[in-house]
This record gives sequence, structure tokens and C-alpha cells, in this order.
Amino acid sequence: MDMDMDMDIPLPEELELLEANSHFYEESYIDSPPSDPSPPQSPPLKNLEIDGSKRPRNSDAIESQPEENKRTKRIDIEEEEEEEEDWLRYAPPEETNVEVAVEKDEEVYLSRFMSAINGDCIPVTAPSGGERVYAKISGAQRDEGLEKLNCKERSKGLLPEPVNVLLQRVEQQAFAKALEASSEHQNDITIPETTMVHEQLWVEKYAPSSFTELLSDEQTNREVLLWLKQWDSCVFGSEIRSTSDEVLSALRRLSSTQHKKSFDSDFSRKNRGHRWINGNNNHIDNVDHGTNNLKGMQEFWNKNSRLTGPPEQKILLLCGSPGLGKTTLAHVAAKHCGYRVVEVNASDDRSTSTIEAKILDVVQMNSVMADARPKCLVIDEIDGALGDGKGAVEVILKMVSAERKHDFGKENNAKKKGSKTASLTRPVICICNDLYAPALRPLRQIAKVHIFVQPTVSRVVSRLKYICNREGMKTSSIALTALAEFTECDIRSCLNTLQFLHKKNETLNVMDISSQVVGRKDVSKSAFDIWREIFHKRTKRDRKSNTSSGSSYGEFDFLHALISNRGDYDVILDGIHENILQLRYHDPVMHKTVKCLNSLGISDVMQQYVMRTQQMSLQVYQPSVAITLHRIVAQIQKPTLEWPKSFQRYRTMLMEKTDILRAWHQKIPPYMSRHLSTKSCIEDLISPLLHILSPPNFRPVALHLLSETEKNNLTQLVNVMVSYSITYKKMKSDSLSSNMGHEAVSDASALSFEPPIGEFIAYKDYRSDPHVLPLAMKQVLLHEVEKQKILQVSTGKSAQRTDGCCNGDQGVVGKGASVAKSAKTIEVPPWKQSKNPLQMSGRHVVVLISLKGLENQAAEVLWILKLQ
Amino acid sequence: MLWVDKYRPKTLAQVVVHEDIAQNLTKLVTEQDCPHLLFYGPSGSGKKTLIMALLRQIFGPSAEKVKVENRNWKIDAGSRTIDLELTTLASTNHVELSPSDVGLQDRYIVQEIIKEMAKNRPIDTKGKKGFKVLVLNEVDKLSREAQHSLRRTMEKYSASCRLILCCNSSSKVTEAIRSRCLNIRINAPSAEQIVKVLEFIGKKEGLQIPSGFAARIAEKSNRNLRRAILSFETCRVQQYPFTSNQAIPPMDWEEYISEIATDIMKEQSPKRLFQVRGKVYELLINCIPPEIVLKRLLHELLKKLDAELKHEVCHWAAYYEHRMRLGQKAIFHIEAFVAKFMSIYKAFLIATFG
Repeated sequence: MDMDMDMDIPLPEELELLEANSHFYEESYIDSPPSDPSPPQSPPLKNLEIDGSKRPRNSDAIESQPEENKRTKRIDIEEEEEEEEDWLRYAPPEETNVEVAVEKDEEVYLSRFMSAINGDCIPVTAPSGGERVYAKISGAQRDEGLEKLNCKERSKGLLPEPVNVLLQRVEQQAFAKALEASSEHQNDITIPETTMVHEQLWVEKYAPSSFTELLSDEQTNREVLLWLKQWDSCVFGSEIRSTSDEVLSALRRLSSTQHKKSFDSDFSRKNRGHRWINGNNNHIDNVDHGTNNLKGMQEFWNKNSRLTGPPEQKILLLCGSPGLGKTTLAHVAAKHCGYRVVEVNASDDRSTSTIEAKILDVVQMNSVMADARPKCLVIDEIDGALGDGKGAVEVILKMVSAERKHDFGKENNAKKKGSKTASLTRPVICICNDLYAPALRPLRQIAKVHIFVQPTVSRVVSRLKYICNREGMKTSSIALTALAEFTECDIRSCLNTLQFLHKKNETLNVMDISSQVVGRKDVSKSAFDIWREIFHKRTKRDRKSNTSSGSSYGEFDFLHALISNRGDYDVILDGIHENILQLRYHDPVMHKTVKCLNSLGISDVMQQYVMRTQQMSLQVYQPSVAITLHRIVAQIQKPTLEWPKSFQRYRTMLMEKTDILRAWHQKIPPYMSRHLSTKSCIEDLISPLLHILSPPNFRPVALHLLSETEKNNLTQLVNVMVSYSITYKKMKSDSLSSNMGHEAVSDASALSFEPPIGEFIAYKDYRSDPHVLPLAMKQVLLHEVEKQKILQVSTGKSAQRTDGCCNGDQGVVGKGASVAKSAKTIEVPPWKQSKNPLQMSGRHVVVLISLKGLENQAAEVLWILKLQ
Repeated sequence: MLWVDKYRPKTLAQVVVHEDIAQNLTKLVTEQDCPHLLFYGPSGSGKKTLIMALLRQIFGPSAEKVKVENRNWKIDAGSRTIDLELTTLASTNHVELSPSDVGLQDRYIVQEIIKEMAKNRPIDTKGKKGFKVLVLNEVDKLSREAQHSLRRTMEKYSASCRLILCCNSSSKVTEAIRSRCLNIRINAPSAEQIVKVLEFIGKKEGLQIPSGFAARIAEKSNRNLRRAILSFETCRVQQYPFTSNQAIPPMDWEEYISEIATDIMKEQSPKRLFQVRGKVYELLINCIPPEIVLKRLLHELLKKLDAELKHEVCHWAAYYEHRMRLGQKAIFHIEAFVAKFMSIYKAFLIATFG
């Protein structure tokens, strides 16, 4: 057991180290001697700690390792270490610069840069301050080296103060704390002035300072860390090495200890190993389990380890709603990997020029001061200010694209030379709330995007509870759970609320949360969420957890706030309309449906009125329509929703068709078009016209084979087509969904009406049956129509010369003649034709002569003659 | 050229259907002057034909010589300039236009363009007939603002300009405008008149029309002369010589609505309503105005309905049409009507058959 613990002790830390691409094996050598003296720990004791009974009980506990140096701090092992952690928290300033000084005059064992160490080395990160150094591994004289190292540590090495001094201080601190706590207990009401002065915001005070304390989703944390690690080769000059067997075995052991620890350690409040928490303490089982897990992981690592340059995507984009810990994660992860964080947020000037300078500064320069860690740029709230935020996005995009080009030419060797082209050589983390903000569109494509999900309520609650205990605030888990749910796991808002209540010396109870005490977040949800809320009836339990009263009043409030926060009533109502008929609600006589549609109608009338009179204040009544609908149709089961497209589709299609119609209308000569409005075109004209244009009794034969009446009919038809400026046009056969589609066309192209008037009656699921002409007939018609048009133009010219006739009449006259003529396939030039009236299909002959008369009246008379 | 256009009367003397009105109009313009006119009546009753014949009566054959002009107008409206595109038909003496084509900005058409046209007084070769006619189509679609600006124009430039307004329903034309015009109601031709016209055309075309055939067409045409003549020609193309029980091809959109009505009668459920919605959208997409869809739907439903429900259904149709005109999204209201009908009909079925 003892030995086992010895090996296990550093392991959770190992995980991080692993991520730091280290060799577990060597590492453990360095590691174990300091932790050797640590006594085995009994789980029950730890359990006590979870309850937060009290901290400084074991202040007499034996030794304390110089834990605060870069060796691991195993808080869950020893109580006194716990204390130290406390101490770390209470006095961070003293702690932070502990390990700044690294010896460089002697043989270098520890250095901030890999290059400073001869031989093998591993990266080590101190959990407390996030300091990161590389430690030398000396294979041959390990023991001596370690001895030396330890000596140094003891004497002056990494600690600016000797251990015993530190120890003393710890005791003092603990004592003071105990005193304070007891005095607080005695007189709760009179909080000493001094504490008031020094009080920080809890949000800052309890901000996670190390990777293990992060509250956000484990998966995301790891991926962010992994991404940062991929920069190592570029930034620190080390290489990502694939996991060796030793590491694997270490990991296996780690995971098994994780099981135990996460189960019973007070670290369960932190996020480590939550996916392994299954309450199973059985060692062997877990080992197997762990191995399986790790194999996948190893493959993953192997795949990634091939990369020597910076990661493929040079920008990391974190997004998520406020208070989930994005900024914290960015800071902690960067610190963990040994970067100095440079943050640019909305409060800074973010115009293109300044941001560019800043980024260049970050990317290319190193500080000459003590804190010489490479920098990592965190651009917070990048979606915030549109105008300025855009500047940042632009600069980043420019740099990335520059890098791309560079890479393209020179493969991966652009590490240090890339400075001229201002390429990105340091990690950049962007943080936003709304991933789909328009400004971020270009960035989204090149960045690695991580979407934050809400941490589970239980995790948030346990953390809150821990903090409350630390602050001596009495709470119940029920109240904390309610608070967490109310704020949607926004831990920042939870903490602020708690601190506020604490200040007022109030306890948190469930009633407070729904009352005015706690500010509700004013978030606008997506339209989909709103529809879901409207159509989805929450079960009693759901509702209770959401609003403490659980009454319909609360529900009303909830929905009202939801809808009015979104505000886009038009879209919301469209969505309701689109989806409402797909719901399954019991409605035998359709009363509910009628009610719903009536409500929608009311909202439409209201909307129209508001827009017309511009009385926007009336918009406040719109949400109530949606709530009415909710009361009528909401169901327990979740609805499947669709974005309302049909109305938009209707609008655009209508526009298209109207345009077609209008264009056609304009082509019809005015003496006809003026009698037709577009409306009457559709209502009265198109259906008969289609019938007329495709007579059933046409024989597709050569023209001279037609009988006299057939010729007449053909002439008539061509005449109609020309006067309504309709012709046939070649179309791809697959696009023939219109009336022409009924035709069984074998060849690739078919002829269809131009303009496509057939489409106006091509309703879905409707088969109109205008007789469709055979293709040969259409070709004949097309030919005739084209010919006719040419003739018409020339007769039009001659008519202009004659300069007196009514355009329309004359056009018709000419047409009749020439069609008849062309039907006989006699090619006569039009001018000749009009001067030389050949005998033709009876009635037109008379009219042709009138062209010569060239007088209005004559033409008129003749025209009338012709009619009678 | 279709028979509709071919046999359209060109002069007032030729007019067959509204003979009395034609005579009155002839008398009206014998002095070469006339008041402002407002023609209103259902479509296919011959408003436009009468107007054209009237213009010809006033100005002679030159009124028929028109040219199409597609002009862009730049209008200075305070701080911004508005670009409008408007198609006009103009002869030397008259201009035809549809101000409602430009939608919401029709006000500017009336205020600027019509005013400008009205101001320019044409000078005749004889220096005598100094007035111009503006024919405005679809006045009922003009926005309220446009109608208000129109009334001042009508008074101010009455010396040089006559307006002939043409619309389907006078109720949408403001009182002020109606009182400034001589209102001429063109009612839909009766079935007998339609039969007369059809027989006239048949005679001209040299066709044999079996007895009762023309009457059937007239009946199906819904008292719309244009449609009657078009159907007549369709029948001629489809089958000649005619037989008295020959099928008269229906209007496709009416056929489609009747399909919808059948659907509704068959099943009353939200699911069916959803299908109906799709079909109604189809109609609307193909430029059938929503009012007509609703009206026709009611018509089709009434055909299939028990007498005792008819009153109630008509009431609700009117109710929803009113709402539709108040609102913006016609589909909401048509659908609400269908739902209401389904609800009524289903309740009725349950009450009757248990």
C-alpha cells in the first residue's frame, strides 16, 4: 500500500505532465524522493474534509515538503498540504515568484527554455503559479543528480526562503485562520472592519488557478490544452513525443488512482477525472478499463505527434454563453503551458493599427524583464464591438494568410524567419459569446472552434458549496442547486449573488432566488429555443426547478420574458405557423386549431397595424399571442421543428412569377395588353390560351400537305403566337417539370413556351390536360413564328413609310398575308409581297390592297369591311 | 390574334353589350369635352373597351396610335431621391398608366408625374382642343396617400386635363375622388348578352353553333365576357364542328381550388389542413390573388354543402376575408377559414350521423 501510494501520489499530476509530452519514467525519479516521506492517507479522513468541517485541524502534521516549488502539490494526499494550498490561496503574492529564480550559473538542471539544458529534459509545470520550466534528466548519474537537485532545493535552489521558514509561516497562517474562524463563530454579526477592507470579489478570490481546478467541461479543457501543446515545438523548441510504454503504464495507474481519489477526495469538487467517477474502488477492474481508454488516447497522441510545426489551425476560438469560464480556461491553460498571457478585451483599443502592433509585439518580442516566458495572446470578447472587433479579426486573418503563403513556399521551416511577414508564431486564443456573429464569419473558417457547454449543476453546486464553507456561509444544497439552475450554471453570477447575500448577512434560501434578490440574466435565446418552449409543455418537475412557484403565472412570465427578449415577432409567429400543424394534440372537432389560427390571424392584423401606424409600443402585445398558443397546444413530448421557409419561398417565387408575367405583358403590343391587367391575365387568359396554342387536331406533316382549313388554322395559330409574343424555346428535358413535362421526350432537348406561361398552371399535384403538341409540330411552329416575326418587322417598316395607318391593324394585315404566303413556301421579299397581292386565302386579299391606300380612313374602312 | 382582340369593338357605335352606356358616352363627348370619369365594374365586363372607344370618339383614330414608353423618373422627395420606373402608353392626346405598379411609392407618381403630365397642355394644330386625357388603371389599388394627392390634381388642372379612372371596385376609391368624377358603373354582362356576342362572333367566323352551346359557355364564364370568348375559341380549337354537350375546358386554377375543396370535404384534421396549406401556397405563388382564392374556395364549398350550414360558412368567409385585408399574410387567414370550416363541418357531421 505504501509503495503503491508512493507511486501513485504524483500521478494526477502526471497526467498533465503527459500532456506536456514528458516521459513519465524519468520524471518519477525526480519526483519520488521529495514525496517519499509523505505518510499514507486514510480515506475517511478525506471524506471529512469534503464536508469542509474545518481546515487547520492538523496543523501539527509532520513534515511539509517544499511542495510549493515546481514539484507537485498533492493536495488530496496530505492534510498539511491542504493547508499549504490554503496558504497559497490566502497569500498568493508571496507564492507567485517563488520559482522565478533559476540557477543558470551552475550546471543547468532547470530552465525556462529547453535549449538551455544539455541532454534530455522534461517540461514541468507548477500547479500553483503555472510556472513552467524544463528539468534536466541525467540518465547516468540519476541518483546523484537528484541528490544534487534536492540539495539545492533545500539550500537555496528554487526556494528563495528555506523550508523551515516557510513552515513556520504556514503554521502562523493556520493559527491566524483558526483564530479568525473562531471569532467569526462567536460574533457572527460583527464582521471585523479589516476583513471588509481586504475582501476581494469571490469570483476572483476563488478563480481556478490551476488546470485541475477548472470547472468547465473536461473534454474542452483537454482539447484546449492539447492545442496549446502543439505550439510547443514552435515556441519552446521541444518536440511532441509519442507516448512510450512507461507513460502508458503510468497512465494506467493514474486512472486507477483517479478512481479512488475522485471518489473520496475533496478534489471531487474540482473537475478532475469526472468521467471516471463511477464509485468503483476496485483496482484491477479499473486498470483494465483504464487501459482501454488509454489506447485510444495513445493513438490520438501518435497521430498528433507527427506534427512538428504549430498546429494546423492557428487560432483557437472559444465560444459559449457568459460565465462558463472561457476566459478562465484560456488563462489557466496558457499559464499551464508556460505562457505569459496577454489579454486584449473590449475595454482596450482594438482598432486595426493598435491591435496589429500588439499582436506583433506578442508574437515577435520577448520581454527583457524577469518574466521572460513566451506570450500567448488572448483576445476576449472578440464578437463584442463590431467595428473594433473587426479590426482584430482582420489582422489575425491577414497574419494567418501570410503564414499560409509562406508555408506553401517553404514547407514548415518558417519558424523564425517568418517574422518579416508578420506571421503568427505564438498561440492566439479568441473568446466570444456568439459564434455566429457576422464579424466572426471569416475567423470561424480558419480557427479551431470549441463550444462551451454548461457544466453539470452538481459540479457547480459542489464548488459553490466549497466556497460557501470556506467563507463560513450557511447554505443548503437545495438552495444552491436552485441558484445554479436559475443562473444557468453561470458560476460568476452565482458567486456574485452569494457574496452579495453574504455581505448582507443573509442566508440563501430558495425563495430569494425567484424574488428580486437575484438578478436574472437577460439572455436572448435563438428562435428555435423559443419555438421549442412554446410547443413543449414542461413537466411539473421541470417547471418547479425553473420557477419556484411553478404556477402558470411563473410560466407566463417565463415565456413572456423569453419571447420579448428575442423580439423578432415576425419570425417567431412564422415559425409557429409553420410548425403548428405538425404537432400532435388532441383535437377532435378542430376547435384548438381554429383558436390557434385565429390567434395567428390576430397577431398578423396587429403586426400590420403596428407597421402601418408606426406605433411600436403596441408590439408588447405580441408575446401574449404566442403564450395563448402555448396554452392551447403545448405537449409533453418534444416537437420536431423546422425553420419557417415556406412563407419566404412563397414571397420569392411570387416575385419571380410576377416579373415573368410583367415582362411578358410588356412584350404584348399595347392595343392588346392595355385590356389585360396582369391579374386578369392569370385569371382568364392563360388556361384558354394554352389550349388554343396546342390544338389537338394538327397533323405534323409538311406544310403543302395540309388542307385549306388546316392551313387556315395554322395561320391563325401562328398569328396568335406572334401577337402574344409567345414562341418556343429549347429547354433541357430534365427541367421540364412544367406542362411540357408530360410529354415523353426521348431526345435531350425539348421545346417549351417562352415566356414559360405553362408554369403558371403547373400546380403541385395537379395534372392539367392541355393537349401537348408533338415535337415535330412545335418545330414547325417555331420556324413559322420566327419567319413571321421577321416579316412583321419589315412590314412594320413599310408601314412606317406609309405613315398613317394604325399600327396594330396594319401589322395584322401584313401578318395574315405573309403567313399565308409562307404556308405556300414561296419566298417573296416582303416589300414585293405587300405591293404585289397574290391570290391568297380569300379574305385577306382585300386588305392587302389597303396598304397602298396609305390613308387612315381607307385602312379603317377596309379593316371593317374585312371584319364583316 | 385571339378573338377577344379581334372582335373588340373599336368605336362606341360598334359596342354591343353596354349599348346604353355607349350612347350616353357618345352624347357626353359631342362637345369634345367631358368631366372626369370613373369606370368601375368587374373584370371582363368591358371597361377598358369602352374607355378606348370613348377616346377614339373624342380624338379620332389617332388615339389608337400609341407608343410604349418605359421611363425612369427621378423624384426629389426632401432629403432623398427616389427612382421610379413606370411604363406608360401615350398617344398625342392621352396617356395611360397604372400608378399602382410601383407599389408603396405610388404617391410620388401621383404627386410628381401625373401633375407634370397634367400641366403640359397639348396644343392642337388648330389651336382649339386643348385638353389631354390621363387614363389611370387600377385606381382602387392606389394607396390612401396617393388618392389624397390625386384629388387636388384633379381640381387644379381640370382646365387642361381630364382623368379617366378605371377600377374594379369603387368602394376602395375615396369619397372625395368619387364625388369629383362622373361614376360609370359597368356591370358584368348578363348571360343573354354573352350569348349574343358569341353568336355574333360565330357568325363572323362562319361557325355552326348548336343550340344551347353558347348558353353553356356563358354560364360557365361567370358573366365574364373575356373569359366567355376565350372559352369559345378554345372549344373551337379543341373540337369543331361543335356538339352541344362538348366539354368546355375549365380554368386550371378554378379546377385546382375545386380539388382543394374536395380534399377539405373528405377529411377534417390538422394534417389535411397542412396539405391544404401547401396547395393554397401553390395558388398564391402563381399570382392568384388571395381574395379570389378565398372567394372561389367558398364558392366550391358551398356547392357541396348542406343548406343549413351555408349561412354560417358565408359569415365566416366574410369574417376572414375582412381580416385578410386588414392583415398582411393572407395565408394565415385563408387557413384560418379552412380550419373554421373544417371545425363547423365536422361538428355538423358528428351531430348528424353521431
